[in-house]
Amino acid sequence: MPVLQTSFGFSPRVHELPGCAWALLILLVLFAATASNFLTTGNLLNIASQATLLLLLALPMTFVIMTEGLDLSLGALLSLCTVIFAIVVKSSGSVSAGILACVMIGVLIGALNGSLISMLGIPPFVATLGTMGIATGLALLLSEERELIELGATAQAAWSGIWMGIPLPVWIAAVSYGLFHFLLKHTRFGVSVIALGGNSEALRLAGKRVVPRLTLVYVLAGVYAAIAGVLLAGRINGGNPTAAQGMEFDAIAAVVVGGTHFVKGRGTLFGTLLGVILITVLRNGLNLLGLTASIQVAAIGILVIAALAMESRR
Amino acid sequence: MSLAIIQDRSVLKHAQAPSEETIGITPQQPVNNIETESVKAPPLIKLCGIGKSFPGVRALQDVSLSLWPGEVHMIMGENGAGKSTLMKVMCGAYKADEGHFEYQGRKVAVRGAADARRLGVAVIFQEYSLVPYLDVAQNIFLGREPMRRIPGLIDHSRTHREAAALLQRLGSDIDTRAIVENLSVAQHQVIEIAKALSQDAKVLVLDEPTAALSVREAEKLFKLVADLREQGVAMAYISHRMDEVFELGDRVSVMRDGKMVTTLAANQATPDELVSLMVGRKVNMNYSRGERPMPGDVVLEVKDLAGTNGLAQASLQVRSREIVGIAGLVGSGRTELVRTIFGADPATSGTIVIRGEPFKGGPADARRKGLALIPEDRKRQGLALEQTVGDNLVSASLPRHFPSSWFSPSRADRLAKSKIEQLSIAPARPRKSAGKLSGGNQQKIVIGKWLLDDAELFIFDEPTRGIDVGAKEQIFALMDGLVRQGRSVLMISSEMNEIVRVCDRAYVMKDMRIVGEVSHEQLSEGNLVRLAMGGK
Amino acid sequence: MNNILVIGSPEARTIALRLFALGVIGLIIGSVAEPFTNAGNLLNILRQASLLFLIASGLTIVIIAGGLDLSIGANVSLSACLAATVIQSSGSLLAGAATALASGLAIGAMNALVICVLRVPAFIATYGMLWIVQGIAYWYMSGTIIHGFPSEVRYIGIGFTAGIPIPVYIMLAFLLLGTLFTQRTTWGRQIYAIGANPTAASLSGIPVNHRVALVYVISGAMSGLAALVFLARLNSAEADLGDSLMLQAVAAVLIGGTSLFGGTGTLAGTLLGCLVLTVVLNGMNLLSISASWQPIVTGAIVIASVLFDAIGRRNR
Repeated sequence: MPVLQTSFGFSPRVHELPGCAWALLILLVLFAATASNFLTTGNLLNIASQATLLLLLALPMTFVIMTEGLDLSLGALLSLCTVIFAIVVKSSGSVSAGILACVMIGVLIGALNGSLISMLGIPPFVATLGTMGIATGLALLLSEERELIELGATAQAAWSGIWMGIPLPVWIAAVSYGLFHFLLKHTRFGVSVIALGGNSEALRLAGKRVVPRLTLVYVLAGVYAAIAGVLLAGRINGGNPTAAQGMEFDAIAAVVVGGTHFVKGRGTLFGTLLGVILITVLRNGLNLLGLTASIQVAAIGILVIAALAMESRR
Repeated sequence: MSLAIIQDRSVLKHAQAPSEETIGITPQQPVNNIETESVKAPPLIKLCGIGKSFPGVRALQDVSLSLWPGEVHMIMGENGAGKSTLMKVMCGAYKADEGHFEYQGRKVAVRGAADARRLGVAVIFQEYSLVPYLDVAQNIFLGREPMRRIPGLIDHSRTHREAAALLQRLGSDIDTRAIVENLSVAQHQVIEIAKALSQDAKVLVLDEPTAALSVREAEKLFKLVADLREQGVAMAYISHRMDEVFELGDRVSVMRDGKMVTTLAANQATPDELVSLMVGRKVNMNYSRGERPMPGDVVLEVKDLAGTNGLAQASLQVRSREIVGIAGLVGSGRTELVRTIFGADPATSGTIVIRGEPFKGGPADARRKGLALIPEDRKRQGLALEQTVGDNLVSASLPRHFPSSWFSPSRADRLAKSKIEQLSIAPARPRKSAGKLSGGNQQKIVIGKWLLDDAELFIFDEPTRGIDVGAKEQIFALMDGLVRQGRSVLMISSEMNEIVRVCDRAYVMKDMRIVGEVSHEQLSEGNLVRLAMGGK
Repeated sequence: MNNILVIGSPEARTIALRLFALGVIGLIIGSVAEPFTNAGNLLNILRQASLLFLIASGLTIVIIAGGLDLSIGANVSLSACLAATVIQSSGSLLAGAATALASGLAIGAMNALVICVLRVPAFIATYGMLWIVQGIAYWYMSGTIIHGFPSEVRYIGIGFTAGIPIPVYIMLAFLLLGTLFTQRTTWGRQIYAIGANPTAASLSGIPVNHRVALVYVISGAMSGLAALVFLARLNSAEADLGDSLMLQAVAAVLIGGTSLFGGTGTLAGTLLGCLVLTVVLNGMNLLSISASWQPIVTGAIVIASVLFDAIGRRNR
């Protein structure tokens, strides 16, 4: 019997992937032609650093969406972590303590999301909508009457540091991509992520419990929001309760446009990577063309709906 | 346990009872009732005196079944005879109320699926246990992926190697890297079998495995079954197809009404004998139709209908004042036929003519033309269980009784009460939640819903499934009343005797087609069963 | 069936429970925060709750039908900004109202198109629509704010008649119309059936797609009308007007006893939900609790409500 399709290697969606990649190519050409300083080193570095942050949210979001879920709380969680990081660093002077605090919060909120969704069957968007509110409020609360800027050189090093000529954040993003790729392709956990979205009944029949695995997916998202929060805090040299507001939307868009849809555990990390670059390039280019953030957001929204509508046609 | 347990039982030959020389038992007499058991080597698995009841229904009564290694044991019986229930008991999905298990002669307890698995029993599902976007090897080893020395790391090459070995053992050339979603149902089955074997299954339960397969795919499966037999795997094989039974089976057990009628050696049975064993019963004549009304004009005419749901070819006719039956085995396409007629699934070719006018459209349009569908799965498709009895009763007829779109709760209440009374729905409270009523009463609600809409043609899909005897008779009397009023009934039933009792004539389906029409004079269970199985 | 008025029916019990909760919460807050029981404060609460209800009512109908509309907040923002522009240039209340309604309808129709025709799942469709509409609103306003409307417009938001704020009358109108629609029209009953079991509803001859499209259009229209009252109340319109409304509306609907799984719920329940939420938020204000606590409390309420609903379903 002829091979019908390559196995779940780099990306299973061979025919759609070029679509996303083509779109990216077209955008790059378009912007290079119309926006004056699009192709400058400075701008490209800017795109890279933006993309880094988004990738850190989009990678775990890929897993979440593969389980047919959604995590609306990541943006708020990210912002919350910048605030917590700033507070801890300023009060204790220790960057490691700050990182630890953020990761703990990330795990906590991720676990909350995961258990609500896996144990009680609460629709993911509602559960994470609720935690989004909680995280937003917490961030606002904690940043009241507090001075949250000037975190010191060490804190900023995470963002501005360079190793072997490449900015640290890019290293972090690359390592993270490798980690998720490894998890998905080489561990039982990765297989269960696909099964959770594709046929969780199969997992149960195989005697594997769904609750801890699904919860872990959301915990992973929480942890990565925390890591991204630390990086962002370093970048803006402070904490800001609304710093990443709405970023979860970009992450969702990147994942969906990259080829992962809410369908039966079908997903691609490479597609997410392309999607992240696409979204970042889109925002950057529109920005250079003088179109405000709001139009960018509207454009991304249209892109998402178009991608989903095309998927429904299949 | 390692994967390489393949006993060489090549001594077992095709379509023969286990022979004396090899296993050391006295030859089986083709007896009609009890198996002689002066054995030296006991059967691999034996179910003894199994009984199982559900509320209101005695599904299994004193059923015994034994399986030897390398035996293909065919299990036959009409729908509702208890075959599936027996298989579910065997694989631990149901716990038997009476009786016990024996494993190689020793009594064992089977309290659940895990116990059954430990005995090596595996059921071959079709869709359930495969994950669409994983590849074949990943599916076979789901949850038990072989690991490398570094903990946490899946050993991909070993996974694929072992998966390929399993598939080879089954004579299959499926690529282990193929994504399951892209494979056919037949291939899914092979993968399921590989999965079972990888868990050291010694007993496979196959429930109508060729139901969804093409002829060629079925042949491949037969070869697979034969290979497995050579390898010493015991198989319990539920089948409705005579050709399969005689081609593959070593022994045949026939069930009827929850009891094991007999077990025969396949090479000593004849098709007619099997049919009469399956079907022979005293017909319960509580209800008789008396004089049939004369059929009137043609109400529904279907020509060469085919649909996206798999319906291949159907032509039929229904007149007013008629009760027309649709007989056939599970998977023969009866539900697909009525769903296509009703517009629930799209038609790809053919015509539907209702009272002389061509019909095209969905359920809302069908309703307007006077059609009514009482679905097979009444809980999931016929009722909103969370809503009240009253709400359910009026849900189809709202446009009819409230044409101005203005809804009057008191009027709806009255309408509901009238049907509750007419159909003796109990408890007689329109505000009771529909999910709390018994199966029979729930069915009455679905029927009442369409009565309120004054439908002309009632399509019943397995109207008496899971319903106690008293309610069954009421429903049949109701159908009779409907046609006397000038309406028509199209009735799907898996119980041939029901069709014979209740219907004026019947069509028989097989493999998604209507393969025959049985007129009133020729309406008998035997005729129906024969046509349904592919005879003449 | 008009089940609320039937003693002992599940709907009546739901309402009674909420009334009780409202009373208890009110008493607690009243004892702790002095100005709570002032006539002025109570009227304020009533007004606020009414405003929230205007949006939550449309959402209730969508959720009853088994759907979801996350775009309502953004809808209010954009509709308000568009209406404000028209009011400022034409000075006409009627023109403003028409604009708001048209804008709301258009957004609702878009939702209906994407969900019913393009078959995109509701939660992601309306989520995407949220960002599209919000983006348009922010772009349109470019950070500006429109304020200062003619008195006849402002009257709608801050005026009184017979000592009762106008929004309360509008709320009552919505309540009446909404309840009539859901309880006394065939379309409303069909929507309950669709929410309870869409498959069975379809096989009962109910035109499911058509009705579902309708509820999204209704939700959009109601959000549009709500926008008018909002801008009248605030005497201004800016792009972030509706940002926090979606979360609050969802919370109010859930508190009111409507299940996210569809098939149950009443507008009266949602009204009570609006009152409970507004009372809680008002109490927090009076107790000088930081406004940052509001999204936390609202989020926690959303989670708690769904939790109770899920556990309740499990036990049934």
